[in-house]
Amino acid sequence: MSQSEAAVVVRGVVKDFRPGLGVRRKRVLGGIDFTVRRGELFGFVGPNGAGKTTTLKILLGLIHATAGEASLLGHPAGEAAFRRQVGFLPENPYFYDFLTGREILHFYARLSGVPREARGRRVGELLERVGLAHAADARLRTYSKGMLQRIGIAQALVHDPELVFLDEPMSGLDPIGRKEIRDLVLQLHAEGKTVFMNTHILTDVEMLCDRVAIIVQGRIRYEGRTEDFLGGAERCADVTLAHVPPELAETFERQYGAELSGRGPHVEFRVAEKHAQALVRAALDAGAELRSLTPHRVSLETVFLSAVEEEARERRAAREGGR
Amino acid sequence: MSAAVLRIQTLAVNTLREAVRNRVLYVLLFFALVLIGTGVLLSTLSYVERERILQDVGLAAIRLFGAAIAIFVGVGLIHKEVERRTIFTILSKPVSRTEFLLGKFAGLVITIWMQVAIMAVGFFAVSWLAGAPVTLGHVQAIALTAGELALLVAVATLFSAFTTPMLASLFGAGFYVVGHLTRDLRELGAQSDSATVERVTAVLHRVLPDLEAFNATIEAVHGLPIAAAAVWQPLLYGVGYAAALLLLAAVVFERRDFR
Repeated sequence: MSQSEAAVVVRGVVKDFRPGLGVRRKRVLGGIDFTVRRGELFGFVGPNGAGKTTTLKILLGLIHATAGEASLLGHPAGEAAFRRQVGFLPENPYFYDFLTGREILHFYARLSGVPREARGRRVGELLERVGLAHAADARLRTYSKGMLQRIGIAQALVHDPELVFLDEPMSGLDPIGRKEIRDLVLQLHAEGKTVFMNTHILTDVEMLCDRVAIIVQGRIRYEGRTEDFLGGAERCADVTLAHVPPELAETFERQYGAELSGRGPHVEFRVAEKHAQALVRAALDAGAELRSLTPHRVSLETVFLSAVEEEARERRAAREGGR
Repeated sequence: MSAAVLRIQTLAVNTLREAVRNRVLYVLLFFALVLIGTGVLLSTLSYVERERILQDVGLAAIRLFGAAIAIFVGVGLIHKEVERRTIFTILSKPVSRTEFLLGKFAGLVITIWMQVAIMAVGFFAVSWLAGAPVTLGHVQAIALTAGELALLVAVATLFSAFTTPMLASLFGAGFYVVGHLTRDLRELGAQSDSATVERVTAVLHRVLPDLEAFNATIEAVHGLPIAAAAVWQPLLYGVGYAAALLLLAAVVFERRDFR
């Protein structure tokens, strides 16, 4: 991939913190590498304390890397001038609560260099877009968490940036709030913006992201297309049948490698997706009735958990080797 | 207007707006005005120099309340932004850390100058009601106080850029007290027999701020003339000293990690 196609490039980034006044360093990022392409919806996934927010803050210049290089849209991370092209929603955002929704967006628009003549229109559009036009002149201290999250997204977009960073955008929201933010993220993607999303909510990543990187204890364990690694394992389907002749279950196990996963008035088989159709046809021919057919995918959670376990295993082995 | 100046102005106006919408400052301002008014009562306790006592108390109230606001609001100026994480969204915009510091500093200085102006109006009103003379010397003394307060805000901004409000308050208050004693320190050194002590106190007098240079209360209250140089020289000194402090604050702030 050429440099011009990359929105974010991270190479060998290391970050050490010194907790308290101590001289001992704590390594939070152990030399990470990944790339985000322009126009991509990228999920940066990891458990709490894995280094997601630290990485994001390094990219935005809020934290200095101990070693390594990071660039955004071809500029070194931390350069203030080009942040005109970058938007950021922090985790659990807090804004000046003595301002109204409209005032805070005007404030950020001025800081971002939005021309005076375009400012009013842009702010009005964004308030409409995030569904806060009705509360535009209320002070932020009266806003609910969901409303603050939405004003947070509006401030991230007020200067129409090319690259948007969202840190745990769905955190603490109710299902309706999550759906609204999800729709907004998809809209941004459809507009051609590059969206970098830090999250630990895996279903959102599965649903939204083109590519993901999994970070565990400051190390990237996986980077690639969401589809690729979800599709890496064999897909299967859950078939629920009624009135199944008893001998049929054995036949299915033998013939299609089906796994009987439930008994009762309804019988449920888990079978490889490629055999699902044949199994259903044979069952119907034998007088059974089809109740449901659910494709079953290896979830991101499975991959994520195995990455976490693998990291723990490697650390254990390294510790034992060191003894 | 350049983009950087516009950003600094935006941050300054916002800081001012925060102060205007903050009730605590109104309370402080109210007590300052009460103290200025109390000068009338205090002056009745004396048969002589009533007007001077009244104006002495009034000018002292402006200086002390101004210093209290400069230090105690100033020390939270940057720390609060980091603690509440409002700085994250601001620095993710095309705003440099130095612009952020300057914007916050300018906003608080304007806020304090507005409060000094209100207190000055109160002072002149009380003087007029009590029949005390109001001269150019009083205006000059208040202008010098305004200069001193801007310098104190720079001190508070520096400490706020790297430490907690509690420590910054202690450092700021210490700076204020020492700043008013540096002339005595120099005098003490000059009277010492030891050349080393004399040299050390002379260096300290040069390095530490000379806040007494901003104090023209005695001249103003006694109706003594204050030369123009006694106003512009301390103000120029204040600008230079504040610039050096802000430069140091910017260097410290630039290196910080906002976790």
